[in-house]
Amino acid sequence: MTTASTPPKEPEDPRPSMGPVQRPRKLGRWMLFVVMMIVAVIMLYPFWVMIYTSLKSEAQFLAGSGFSWISWSSLTSVIPIGQEVLSSTIVCAASILLILIVGLPAGFAFSKLRFRLSTGIFLVMVSAMMVPLQAILMTEYVNVSRLHLTGGYTAAVLVYAALGTPFSVFLFSTYFRGVPDELIEAGIVDGLGYVGVLWRLVVPIALPAIATVTVLQFIQIWDDLLVGLFFIQNTSDRPITVGLAVLAAGRTTSIPELMAGSIISALPAMLVYVGFQRYLVKGLTMGIDR
Amino acid sequence: MATVSVNAPKARRLTLKRRRQLAGVVFALPAIALVIGFIGIPIGQDVYYSFTQWDGQTATWVGVSTWTQAFHNPNLWTALRNNALLLLSVPFALGLPLCIAVLLHQRVAGWRIFRTIYFLPTAISWVVLGLVAERFFAFQGTLNSIIHALGFSHFSTNLLGYQSEALLALGITFIFTMIGTNTMLFLTGLATLDPSLEEAARIDGAGRWRIFRNITLPHLSRFIQLAFVMTVIALFSALFSLIFVMTGGGPGYATTTVEYLIYQTGFNQGDFGTAALYGLILFVITGVVGIVQLRLIGSSE
Repeated sequence: MTTASTPPKEPEDPRPSMGPVQRPRKLGRWMLFVVMMIVAVIMLYPFWVMIYTSLKSEAQFLAGSGFSWISWSSLTSVIPIGQEVLSSTIVCAASILLILIVGLPAGFAFSKLRFRLSTGIFLVMVSAMMVPLQAILMTEYVNVSRLHLTGGYTAAVLVYAALGTPFSVFLFSTYFRGVPDELIEAGIVDGLGYVGVLWRLVVPIALPAIATVTVLQFIQIWDDLLVGLFFIQNTSDRPITVGLAVLAAGRTTSIPELMAGSIISALPAMLVYVGFQRYLVKGLTMGIDR
Repeated sequence: MATVSVNAPKARRLTLKRRRQLAGVVFALPAIALVIGFIGIPIGQDVYYSFTQWDGQTATWVGVSTWTQAFHNPNLWTALRNNALLLLSVPFALGLPLCIAVLLHQRVAGWRIFRTIYFLPTAISWVVLGLVAERFFAFQGTLNSIIHALGFSHFSTNLLGYQSEALLALGITFIFTMIGTNTMLFLTGLATLDPSLEEAARIDGAGRWRIFRNITLPHLSRFIQLAFVMTVIALFSALFSLIFVMTGGGPGYATTTVEYLIYQTGFNQGDFGTAALYGLILFVITGVVGIVQLRLIGSSE
């Protein structure tokens, strides 16, 4: 190593002592790059499997060689993909809308319009974030069945909204704490009323928080299996994750077609993900990173 | 006269305050109702129905006999053991993302692209990741292709096919699914680290490892705690999709966790009462983990 260190070529080099360190550092950088490439290959593996496998017929898949578009062209006859994507979209949109409708005023109330016991109620509400649906699966299922809500999307939307509300209330109230009280008072003095203040003054400020809730909930609900599986009764109303999971668990559908369906299911969430990454990060670290 | 002039504005302020409180109650009510109706009440019902024999239609009170039967049921212990064994994956689900985040933080050329690539699998449903993992571990899957390509042509694995190994495959898949989220958390934590601190340590002659141990790691502790809690909660309550797609809980009960046992007991065996009881057990487990997280959030304020 020491023999490799040459005297500085130019006498006016400002950092002659950096000479010997330069080379191993550069080597380290290359090693780092190689490691990162390997990790990238591993993380891209699911996409490679989906694309590669979907471009085969069932026979080609079993044989292990050859390519064809047949799994894509026959996809709609095996999986009602259009209907399922539509169902997923409706359930997502309705659930997120309901979460915002109940979450925004509640977040406003818990941060700016405190009432008796509001702190305690808020804490209980936030703890509800931790309750997994599986823990209440049976009683929830029987309740919504007795209320005849499992026919369309109603039960799924209500359950998604209930599960998403605690987090959104937490996020909104944390965000609203930064809104100055004077702004709200000024709005009241101007005769806007509390609904007007919320709608005209607070909501416009809260757009980044609304975006965070929307993006997080979209990915969560779009990717979820459990609620769609148990709270949507008609097979014709199935969201796409349920369609894929049921076919996969049945083990009779050809794998290439399942993979083609998987790609379609993955695309919307990936686009949202890449487009709105920063809102996701904000939501994830809410509470510890302020 | 004096009492009137003092009391009048006070009374008006009180009514203003009351109006604000009333608005608060009205604004909070829909969210409270939704959460009570669809989360709070079902938990209460869990408690009641765990003392009954229940098929979803009629429930008959049987007292603690559901409890004693459940705790004598080997399947519950198998499921709890599976969950406990899966906890062994948590160090990997935290350690690997920590390494990746530190790598990304070095800001090698193209690190933004790498970051997006590493996070991308997080966007996909665990249903789809389960499908892909099933293809990876299958007898004619990628894992065996890799083993054969490395020269061990007469050695093949079939992890998902054996009781003793299926849980390992599930654990590896779980680690993979957690990498994106945890890397994102750690990277956010690293971004808030003051670079001049590391610089000062370097000038003082501290090596890379010492800088990492004494400066970077303590700075990340809060993020590591949060990632730990999120990972453990996911382990108890988010594996359903993976299990449903990859193994169906099998072979036998080899990959049945508590959350999957609830589904099997309730929907496959029609024993809603015992399933409600298992739900209660899951609620207590995640509750304990959740309290830890709440204390973390609370202590930062």
